[in-house]
Order: sequence, then structure tokens, then C-alpha cells
Amino acid sequence: MNLRVLLPPLRLVRTPLPLLFLTLFCLQSFAQTIVTGTVTDQATGEAIPGVSILAKGTTVGTSTAIDGTYRLNVPTNSKTLVFSFVGFGTKEMAINNQSTVNVVLATDLRQLQEVVVTALGIKKDIRRTGVAIQTVDGASTVKAREPNAINALAGKVAGLTVGASPELLRRPNVMLRGNSDILYVVDGVPVNTDTWNISPDDIETYSVLKGATASALYGFRGKNGAILITTKRGTKDKRGFSVDVNSSTMIDNGFYAIPKVQDEYGPGDHGRYAFVDGKGGGLNDGDYDAGWGPKFEGQPIPQYDSPIDPVTGQRIPTPYIARGKDNLKRFLNPGILSTNNISIGASTEKYNLRFSTSHIFQKGIVPNTKLNITNFNITADYNFSKKLTFQSGLQYNRQYTPNIPDVNYGPNSIIYNMTLWGGADWNVDDMRNYWQPGKEGIQQIYAEYQRYNNPYFMSYEWLRGHQKTDVIGQASLNYKITDFLDVMLRTQVTTWNLFRSEKMPYSAGSYGREERRGDYREDRRNLFENNTDVLVKFDKDLFPDFNAKIWAGGNIRSFEYSSQYGSTDYLNVPGLYNFSNSARPVKTSNYGSAMRVNSAYYSADFTYRNLFTISTTGRVDKLSTLPTGNNTFFYPSVAFSTVLSDYLKMPDVISFFKLRGSYANVKDALTRSTIGTTPALGGGNPLGYGDQYYSPYDGPSYQNAAVYSTPFAYNNTPAAYYTNTLNNPNLQPSSTSQSEFGLDFRILENRIALDATYFVSNEGPRIFSLPVSTTTGYSSALVNGIKTRKTGWEVALTGKPLRSATGLNWNVVANYSTFKEVLTEIYPGVDALDTFFKVGDRLDKFYGRHAFAKTDDGQIINDASGRPVYSPVRQFLGYSNPKFVFGINNKFSYHDFTFSFQFDGRIGGVIADYVQQQTFRGGRNIALVQGKMEEARYQDYKGVKSWVGPGVQIANDGKLNFDADGEITNLNELTFTPNTTKQFLQDWVSRYYDSDEGNLMSRSFGMLREVVIGYALPVSLLERSKFIKTASISLVGRNLLYFAEKKDIDLNQYVSGGNSGLQTPSTRRYGVNLSLTF
Amino acid sequence: MKFKSRFTYAFLVLGLVLSGCEKSFEDLEKDPNRAITAPASLVLQGIEFDLYDNTGRPFSSEMRWNQFYAINYNYYGNNEYQFQEMPNHFFTLKNVVKMEQEAKRAGAADVNSYSALGKFFRAYFYDQMSARVGDLPAMEALEGSGNLTPKYDTQKQVYVQILKWLDEANADITALVAKGETSVPGDFYFGGDLRKWQKATNALKLRVLIRLSKKADDAELNVKSRFAEVLSNPAKFPLLEGMSDNLQFISNNFNKYPSNPDNFGFDATRQNMAKTYIDLAASRQDPRVMVVAEPAGAELKAGKKPSDFTAFVGASSGEDLTDMADKAGRDNGAGFAPGLYSFQSRSRYYTNYVGEAVFILGYPELCFNLAEGLNRGWGSGDAEAWYKKGIKSSQEFYGVKDGTLTMRYSRTGGRDAADFGTYTIDFSFDKYYAQPLVKYDGNTAPGLEKILTQKYLAFFMNSGMEAYFNYRRTGIPKFYTGVGTGNSGRIAVRWLYPFSERTTNETNYKEAIQRQFSGNDGINETLWISK
Repeated sequence: MNLRVLLPPLRLVRTPLPLLFLTLFCLQSFAQTIVTGTVTDQATGEAIPGVSILAKGTTVGTSTAIDGTYRLNVPTNSKTLVFSFVGFGTKEMAINNQSTVNVVLATDLRQLQEVVVTALGIKKDIRRTGVAIQTVDGASTVKAREPNAINALAGKVAGLTVGASPELLRRPNVMLRGNSDILYVVDGVPVNTDTWNISPDDIETYSVLKGATASALYGFRGKNGAILITTKRGTKDKRGFSVDVNSSTMIDNGFYAIPKVQDEYGPGDHGRYAFVDGKGGGLNDGDYDAGWGPKFEGQPIPQYDSPIDPVTGQRIPTPYIARGKDNLKRFLNPGILSTNNISIGASTEKYNLRFSTSHIFQKGIVPNTKLNITNFNITADYNFSKKLTFQSGLQYNRQYTPNIPDVNYGPNSIIYNMTLWGGADWNVDDMRNYWQPGKEGIQQIYAEYQRYNNPYFMSYEWLRGHQKTDVIGQASLNYKITDFLDVMLRTQVTTWNLFRSEKMPYSAGSYGREERRGDYREDRRNLFENNTDVLVKFDKDLFPDFNAKIWAGGNIRSFEYSSQYGSTDYLNVPGLYNFSNSARPVKTSNYGSAMRVNSAYYSADFTYRNLFTISTTGRVDKLSTLPTGNNTFFYPSVAFSTVLSDYLKMPDVISFFKLRGSYANVKDALTRSTIGTTPALGGGNPLGYGDQYYSPYDGPSYQNAAVYSTPFAYNNTPAAYYTNTLNNPNLQPSSTSQSEFGLDFRILENRIALDATYFVSNEGPRIFSLPVSTTTGYSSALVNGIKTRKTGWEVALTGKPLRSATGLNWNVVANYSTFKEVLTEIYPGVDALDTFFKVGDRLDKFYGRHAFAKTDDGQIINDASGRPVYSPVRQFLGYSNPKFVFGINNKFSYHDFTFSFQFDGRIGGVIADYVQQQTFRGGRNIALVQGKMEEARYQDYKGVKSWVGPGVQIANDGKLNFDADGEITNLNELTFTPNTTKQFLQDWVSRYYDSDEGNLMSRSFGMLREVVIGYALPVSLLERSKFIKTASISLVGRNLLYFAEKKDIDLNQYVSGGNSGLQTPSTRRYGVNLSLTF
Repeated sequence: MKFKSRFTYAFLVLGLVLSGCEKSFEDLEKDPNRAITAPASLVLQGIEFDLYDNTGRPFSSEMRWNQFYAINYNYYGNNEYQFQEMPNHFFTLKNVVKMEQEAKRAGAADVNSYSALGKFFRAYFYDQMSARVGDLPAMEALEGSGNLTPKYDTQKQVYVQILKWLDEANADITALVAKGETSVPGDFYFGGDLRKWQKATNALKLRVLIRLSKKADDAELNVKSRFAEVLSNPAKFPLLEGMSDNLQFISNNFNKYPSNPDNFGFDATRQNMAKTYIDLAASRQDPRVMVVAEPAGAELKAGKKPSDFTAFVGASSGEDLTDMADKAGRDNGAGFAPGLYSFQSRSRYYTNYVGEAVFILGYPELCFNLAEGLNRGWGSGDAEAWYKKGIKSSQEFYGVKDGTLTMRYSRTGGRDAADFGTYTIDFSFDKYYAQPLVKYDGNTAPGLEKILTQKYLAFFMNSGMEAYFNYRRTGIPKFYTGVGTGNSGRIAVRWLYPFSERTTNETNYKEAIQRQFSGNDGINETLWISK
């Protein structure tokens, strides 16, 4: 074929669109004969739905129904029918005056069989797709399981980074092309999700729309890309029904990321410790550092459980020994992840039903913590007639737990209490009976009473409950006006309610609750959202070889949210968790918001032969969060694809070669993706400690409101403070323009496929809080400003190195992605952002706290005490984003056996390791008793300064002068000599490691993510049972190997940012999966 | 078919009902959760709270920079003079503007109690900021979007304006009181009594005049004659008449005194007394030291009585933190508080949430300011009388008066009832005053040093950073330096401008640092008022 044929049709595309529409309705007026028949698959004998049938030489056509049948009024001038379907060879059949024409189609190995789900649930042939979409089969995620459907995507999609959290119920940090707020869509409609309310067992496919073009049809919610989830429907079983059971039981055991701590020195300060009351009454017996006390040498020291001399009333010293070696490991239990799913499907010509229920039970590794998720899912589709069909689905999901741990830094955290600040002087087993005799319900037992808490007491008495119920339902009615014109009405409701409670027992302490008199808290949130759509679908070959697929629709989205938070201010009666029991006035607050979005949108694809497809979409939103006049905006997108291999002569080895390109402009304004505890806006965490739970929201942010906040100030009376943000009545929506170019190249009969995308995303002007001079009385002004440019690559390589119908098969998928974002513009008259960032800078530059003052040749400058001097201003320490992210999946099958594994990771970038920082400062880091520090640590205990830190000191009595950037201005006046001042290791460590620079580590890691060894029982064996149709059993493992510079933190969860936090240790997971079909 | 169309219709209706369109887009844009307006009284509460909250609370880093106490636990801080950005009061000043607007919106006259207090607050916060950094935008500031890049006024202009505000506030209150408007709703410091605010206004004026002592000869500031005017015209410029007129913050269960039972275990042995304060008080046999501090455990163990002033030992703020921690933490055995140093009084600061009143503008300071002005010859009057009043009122605040004083101390360093013991000392003010270290030397330099020293003692844990400002201005008392005070052994003399000024108001900021400090916004650069 020759490229020149492209030219005439191109001109046709330029024909004004309205003309095309006009031609639509005047096509069918010939004499006709009726032909019916069934289309089946040569390989399986099963019916093929959706095969397109064309009366040759005309524009008359149809497609097969779900049972593979068709009926076509063939104009008398046509003698031949053309049957075509993606993945099958096209077949022409002469009619020969028959009224029934049955056809068997054979698979075309050279043809691609891929259909992808694009925005609005439109299924498209991969050849006609001009945007980057990667699909993951739902079945591949339910063997070596994650409790959360989205976690399971880690490493499976190029450009999608999933930072699974080791904590129960924590939302994973998900990033798509460097953006974190991603839209989730189930069966065509956006849903409000915390990622835990999606049942993995009900997922047919995940379709990841990576860029703005792909998701522009969803309006502002889709501006960062989307993950489309298509749920399973009915059954394809020939009997018309099937029952599937999938059951997994996995154990969380064996740590791959856990801080290593020393158990040779106990708590205290400069080697001194003696317990009197654990509240500062003794020698460093309150709020102590876990490892800076005396060495465990069996010497007599008064301890928390030393007997009291009845005469003096004082504790009789007892031998000081390391009773608490490996306390944390002994405290934590193996976790369990057990998931069970049963689904029943039935289908006939008339209806299509599926009921599925799942239960996920997760027992945390911290004692007395667990999480249950129960899910019901019903889909019911009914065909009133060939023209009128109805589809519906209802999902009920409930998450419930009486207690999940809070790991965030503070006395509310087990890790804080046991690893950072708790010593090895007490034995965790002695803490199981945690009430003091005679003070049950009032006073815990622990080795310290000022700051910290007994871990068992925390686990069994300090309870954080969580109950969330999600109901998502949708129904749609589709009316087929003609073969090529459908009208659909659809309405969907997403609603959830959340109840969280915290019971804080008497004698438990945390930041801001030092009186230790207990508390009770409730956090209630409710969300309701409705999307109602009208959608008109047109799909037709307008002329021979020219197909138009046009969808147009309108949507009304209504949103309401309300929340309420209440807390006691200490309790009167210990153990009674009720607001009426509050010692001081109860603190409550409430919040409500509402929003409406009216939208109209269209998607139009035009395909000329198999030469090229041009897709355009457009959407208009009228959004209630913006000021009138600026609240209606349009976003366009256009995409182009062409399969060169279809019309250019290429070497035989090339089976497929597609090029694609696209552009989109998307906008958004004054909404936020998540919301925290009430007061929900700007208030932060009302607790002042622990984890702030953010629930999904996608509602108004009210950022542009000029308002007072009225917190309690003096003596529990309110005060009014005016906002520090200047509002802007002329605010425009944020804007992002994204272009991408891609190729899809496959060789050797599609056995090796390369899909590569390069994207450029020009983000901004955004709605941006422009810092303004605080001398105006305000810290920022809401403006349209700041532009950044994100560029990146995504590459997926798919291979089938071995393929054999009867023997060994090997499939491999490798993903690679990288991006960087630079600042391209700030605001007129402003040449730096957040003090440090200039135009041209990467946005992930990490400016660390307490960088060391250094000489010209990079040596640390120490003060006269032999400890590093900090630069007074944060300094650039490195880039926090990885250079690239990769994943490799391998799947082998041999007869009834399968073996698959996935290895993935992220390479490059730096992070300041907070666990290292705090274990050093608390004196527990294992390095303190190893290597060169070992002796110095012992000398500290003996009261001898012996540690000499690296670097230099100023020799000539010079004084360091810094400028406003933290640069030393008088280095040339100073002379330096190597540091020789001996210092206590404790005091040097406390300075050196209280810095981001001292704790900087590579954030590269690699992970053996999953391994599945499966065995499917042979069909011959099962046939005898006449009951079980398929059965497979798999041995599965997750997170089996972890490679990183330091393993005290699990880098998986940190997808961005320069600092780590605390975490519950990360465990390996392994178990058995059983899958049966009846 | 009929069924089907009905079904379709029902479906459509259902969709519309669910998408509920009751509210207009305009209504939906508004935030239903927060107020667009607020009563001036509510705004005043916030400003008044900031008056205490952001200017240097007791047992804060500011009080370490005053060298009243020191911290020996590096995890919680240090004693270094590594000043950062100045405390930014422009947001509070914005609330002052809003308070004035809200009062007017509610129908108040142009001059009203809120506008009068507004002038006081402007003067107070501008003084707090300018004394720390130097030049500041004043004339063009606080206009919101009206002027996003306010020009900096010179420090002199700022102080001219401060004095103007104070004079206007004084005159406005006089006029209001004459009209019968004597109270200001929302005020928690004086129960709304405007006349007390007037006294505080004039007390602040005296503080500001003293602050400008190095510029006493500046014609525009007119420090001396303004001082003389206040002194000679008490009817026009009423002043605090005693401790009951103090502008002071009283802690409560919701706003706890910073040292309280909750944090004993965090701070008790990590915060020791500083040598600067202890030595000045102990060398004068001043019982105030026994009220605010404990005798050092090592001294008692060595046999000293708690009533022995030499048992009170402070650590030099310049001491290496390592050594201070080591010395403060030495085990003195059972029955003795640890360490070589005195700690803050367990009974006064760790047994309740109220602690002591925290002066924002206190009567003793007023007395010493008057004494200092007189010593400097800015007016006629008896400097010694004010000096003595200052000492006496401060001592009485601590319960120190003639007779036998019973002192409470912690034998063990603990704070339980069983830990406490008592001792008595006899105190006579006259005897105290007769000491050469105390007795006023007349209006001479040694006399001034006496005034400044006693003023320093009276500033213990109150009045923000006034103790430091007086030191910076006069060099009295001697502050200790060393590796522990950082900054290469120097006491820093100014704070930095807010970092955001470098990028948000670059031209004006650069001009201001250029004319003041040859372009270096550094902590060791000398302010105009210090020259």
C-alpha cells in the first residue's frame, strides 16, 4: 500500500462536522432481505459477541449480540457479508439467497486482540487509541494478595507509583506521572474512594489512563489521570451459571524493614539512671533517652520494679541487666491476611446477574489490632428488548475495626515507645498485666510515667475504632434507536459514612494530654454524591472506510458533605467513654459543604479505514466553587493514532507499529481531594498528636473565602482571627496542558512489544497561594500563577520468549518510568518561591534542616566543643524523587503449573531517615555499640570524653559569619585545623544526627514483590467429580526480599518528599490461595 | 412499551431528584462554616492573647537569652544566640485593623475604645519588631492587596510613629472617658477598664523613650522633653500606680503557666538557673533568689544550709552544654537533688497551673524607667525614690517584705509534699538596701548601673525580652558567653527579617538592609537605636 491513498480522505475529515451529522439520517432506503445467523470462535466453539457485520458495498451493518447472533436487513444490491472482529481474521461470506449465514471466525495471530477501556468506559480497539493506557488484569492481583486493591498495582504499570503503607487502613501514596490526586472510576462513573472500599475480587480489569488527555472527559477530577475499574458481570459459562470461590490465607511474618537497636546500655543520661517515681523524681527517670544510661553490667540500680524498703520507703537497688533484649520483636505477633470471596453468576439472553461477597480479615502484627472489610456486590443487567437494556450495580462495603494502631511520632506510637525511647531494661513480658494492683482502670504499670506508655496497655486499652460504610450504586438504561445510535441515561450514587472513636484510658499520656486523665473522641463524617448522565452514542461507518464514533453527554454532579468532631477535655470517671463524662467543657465542631457541577461533554473519534484515527473530546464544566463569571470553563483534547504496519510495507519481523500523539488542556478549581478531622479547613489535627485521618472528599475547599476563624484563645473563650490569605474575586481555574507522543512496536508475531510514551505537561497557571510580604498583614494571596513543566518517559516491554501450546510458556512484562518537574514561571515580579526555588529549578530539590557549616573543601566545621556548627539556613542536599521506577513481571506456565514473580523498585534520590535520627538521639541505634563508636560509648559511661568527630575547628580565634543564605561570608579570614577536641559521644551524636544531612540516605530500593507457584487440577480429574469445574491452588509470597541502603525504614511508602516518618515494621507475607469454580 | 416508557420517565425523574438543585451556584460558592464578620470584642480577644503568646513567655528561649535560666538538655534546646526570623506580628496588626473596621461597621464613632486600643497595639507590636530587626514598613504596611510591596520606613521613622500612636491613644482615651465611654468589651486584661489601658499606654511610652536612650538628643524623637512632660503632667499622662495596674497575663487551666506539674518530668533537671541572674541576686542577699530557685543539691550535700545564699549556684550560659548537662545531672545520692546547679523552684513553678502573673508592662519596670530617666537628667525628680519603689514592688511580688520569711524548698529535687522542707530567713528592706551593691549612688554612672541591675532582677520571667534589650542597650548586667552561647562567642544583637521578605518584597527589603547593614541581614549587625 502506498501512503498517497491517505490524501483524499484527509480532505474529507476537514468537511465541517455538521455536514457529517446531516448525512447520518438519510442512508437507509433500499429494498432489503433479512439475514440471521450466529458467529462462533473456531478455537473454542463459543459464540462471539460484538462481531461487526457489514453488507459489502453498502454502509449497512450490525454487530452480534451477547449470544453471538445477529440479524441484518441486507439491501438487495449486496451479495456478500463481511465479518470482522478484533483479533480475528476478517471473513467474507456470500449470501447466496440464504436467510441464515453462520460463520466460524479464526484467531488471527498477527492481529492484535487488545481492547482497552478508555474514559467513560468506552471500549476501544488499541489501534484507535491515541493516548497512553495500560491495562492490568484483575485476576493477576488476587493471588499474592494485598488487602487493598490499589496496593496490588505496585510495579505493574509504567508511570504509576504505588507506595503501599505498612499500616492497617493507611491509604497508599499513589502517584501517576508525579501527581498524587488520581481519579478512580468504577464502571464508567467516578467514585469517592479511600482505596479500601474497592473489592479486588470483583475487578475484571484495571485500566490506567496515564495522562490528562486520556481522562479529560472526566473534567477536573480527571486532570491527573485516572484508574478505571471494570467490574465483573454475569458469567460467560455456557451453562448460564457459575459459582466461583477464591480463598487466600496469608501470614505476615519476618521483618524486611525494622530498626536495629542496641541492647547493651539502658535509659538515662550520660550514663546515669535511678528510678524513684518515673516522673523526674529520680535520676533521669522520666522522659529519658532509651540508650544513654548505664551499661547493663548487673550492678545494683533502683528500677521501676525494685522492691521498696518498708522502713525508708525507698527502692532497694536490683541488678541492672538487659531484660528487654528484642522487646519489640517479642511484642509483635505474626499478622494474618485472610480473604474469602464467593461469587455467583448467571446469565441468559434476558438477564445477566452476578452476586459476590468478600470478606477480608487482617490481623495486625501489633497485638489487639485488626481490620475487617466486608463487601457485597450485585450487578444485574436486564434486556427488556433488543433495543432497551438496563444495567445496574450496587456495592456495599463496610470497614470495621475496634482498634487500629497509631504509629505517628509521639507517645501514642508503639515504635516511639519501644524502639526510639524505651530501653532494654524492662522485659516486655512483664508488661502484660498492665494495671497496677489496686489501681485497675486507673494507673498503668510501666518503667516510666512521664512521657511514655506500656505497649500492652496501649494495645488493649487505648483503642481507636473505625467504621466506614460505603454504598455505591448505579443504574443505567440504554435505548438503541438504530443500529448505530444509542441513548443512555445513567444515575449513580456514591455515599459513605464514617465513625471513628478514640478511647484514651486514664494514665495514658501523649503530646498535649500530660494530665493523663483519659479522653473520649468521636469523629463522624458523611458524604453523598450523585452523578446523573445522559449520553448519546453514535457509531457508524459514515462512508465506506470512514467510521465515526461520537459520544455526547451531559452530567450533573451534586455533592454534600457534613462532619462533626467532639472530644472530652479529660474524664471524670475513669473508663467511662461518654461526652457527659467530660471533666472540662466538651470540645465540638462541625462542618458542612455542598457543591454542584453541571457539565456537557463529547468524544468524537474518526477513523479512516485502518489508516488513522483522530479522537477529540471536549467538556464544559460549570463549577460552584468559583466566583460567578469565572465558573464555566472548557477543556479540549485531541489525539491521533496511526498503525503504520497496516499500510506500509514492513519487514515480516515487524507485526505491529503504531504511532500516537495527543494534547489536552484541563482545568480545576478550589476543590480538594481529601479532608481531615473537623474543623476541616486549615485546622489541621485537633488532637495535636498522632495520625490525621484523611478521607476522600473531592469537594469544595472554600480556599477563596475571606473569613475569620474563631478558635478558643484565652481561658476557653473564643477569639476571632482574620484569614492570612488575601482572597481573589477574579480567580480563574487552574490550567494544565499536556502533550504526549508514543509508539507501540511489536515484532515476531507480537511476541515482543514495546510501548513507549514521552510526555510534556505544562502545569499552570495554577490557583496558587502566592507568598506576599507579611508586612501587608497577609502571608499569601490566592492568584493564578506559577507554572511548572513536567517531562517524562514511560516504557513497557512485553515479551513472550517461550510459547508453546503444550509445553513451557514464558511471559514477561517490564516497566520503566521517569519524570522530572521544573519551575518555569512564578508570578510577575517574583523571582523565587519558598525562598529557595528559582525558575529552572527542579521542584524536588531537598533543602535540609541543620546542614553542616563547611570549609571550601567540604570539611565540617566544628565549634570549640568539637561538635558540628549548623548553617543557620536550610541547604540543598539532593533531589528527593527517584531517577526512575521499574518493575519486572515474569510468568511461566508448564502444563498445569504456573510460576510467576515480580521484582520492582525505584532508583535514585535521597531521603533523610527519621528513624535513624531518632534512634541515634535516643541512644539506641545499633551503630553505637559497633565499630569505632563502640569504645567511645563505653568511655561515655565511664565519664570520659573520648570521641573526636570528623572535620575541622577554627584555629585563629576567628568568628563565623553567615549571610542570609547561610553561606559563610568570611571563610578567607579563617584558618582551620583538624578537630582534636574530645567530646562525649552522646553530645556529639545529639548534634550530628539532629540534622537532615547526618541522616541522608539513598532512597533506591528493589523488592521481590510477589511470587506465585500455582497448580491447576487437570480437567480430566475434575470431570469425574461432575461438580467442580476448575480448581487451582497456589503458594504465594509477597514482599519477600528487600534491598536498600538501610533497612530501618521501608522506602516503599515514601513516593516523594525529603523526610521519612515512623512506621510499624514491614513484614514479609506468604500463604496459600485456593480458587474453585463450580 | 408503555411500561418501558414509564420506566424511562421514572428513571429520569429519579436522576434529577438525586442531583437536587435547590441552591444556586452563588450560594454554593460561599463557605457556610466560617464567619465573614465578627464582633470587635472577639477580634480583641485574639489580639490580647497574642500580646502574651508571641512576645516571649516564661521559661522560653527568650528567657534563656535573658540569661535567667539555661537549658542543659540539647534535645529540647540550647542556650545559643542563633537568632532567626523575628517573631512576626504583622498578622496580629492585621487583626488590629480588622478590629477597628468591625467596630466601625457596628456603628462606633471614628474615635472609639477599639481604635484607641488599636493605637496602643500598633505601638506595642511595632516596638517589639523594630527593636529586634530595625527598619520596618509602617506607613505603607497593612494595606493587604492595596500595597503588596510596602516600603520600609527607617527605624527612626518607626519610633516617631510609635510615639505618635501612643500620644494619640492617650488623648483618645482621655476624650472617650470624658464622654463617659470608659469600658471596652472583650478585654480580659483589665476587665474592660479603659483608664487602666491609658496607664499602660503611658507606661509603654516610657519604655519606648528609655529604649531610645542612645538617641536622646535626636530632635525629632524629642526623648528628653517627652519624658519630662509625662513626669510633670500626671493628670494628662496617668501612669501605673502600683502592682494592681500591671498589664499582666494570668494563667489558668486552659492556658497553663509554661512551667507546671505536667512538665516537671520533662524539664525539672534539664532547666537549671543561669549564673547571670543567680549571682546578681545571691551576691545582694536578695531573698527573691530563694523564692524562684532551689539551693544546689551539691551545696546542700556539702553541708550548706538552704538559707545560705552561697548555696545558690547558676550555670554560665556560655558553658558547653555537654558540661552543663554533666554538672546538672551529677548524682548527689538519695535525699539530695542532683547536680551542682540550682534549679527553678519546685514549689513555685511545678505545683499548679497558674504559676505567677506574667507582666507585659509591670509597675516595677515603670519605676526603674522613671529612675533611669531621672538618673540621665531627662527631668526633675527623685531617682532614688523610684529606684526603691521598683525594688520594693518587685520583692513584694515574690512575697519578700520585712520580717521573718518562710521559704519552701525541695530537699530531694522532687515536688511531692514529702520532698519539701522549709527554712526561714529574716529580711529587712532597709538592711538590704544599705548594702553597697544595692544602695543608690546618686545620678551617676554607678547609680545607673544599680538601677539597671535591679531592673534586670525585676524582669525575671516577665516582660518578654526587655531584660535582653536593656543589656543590649547598656551592657548591664554582664552577660556570659562561651561555646554554649554559640555565634562564635558573641551575643547576637538583632534578629533577621522574615525570610519571605527576600522574595516577596525584594526591592524594598534590599534597600532597607543596604542602608542599615551594608546589605547583610545578619544577627551581628548593629541597629540604628543601638548606635
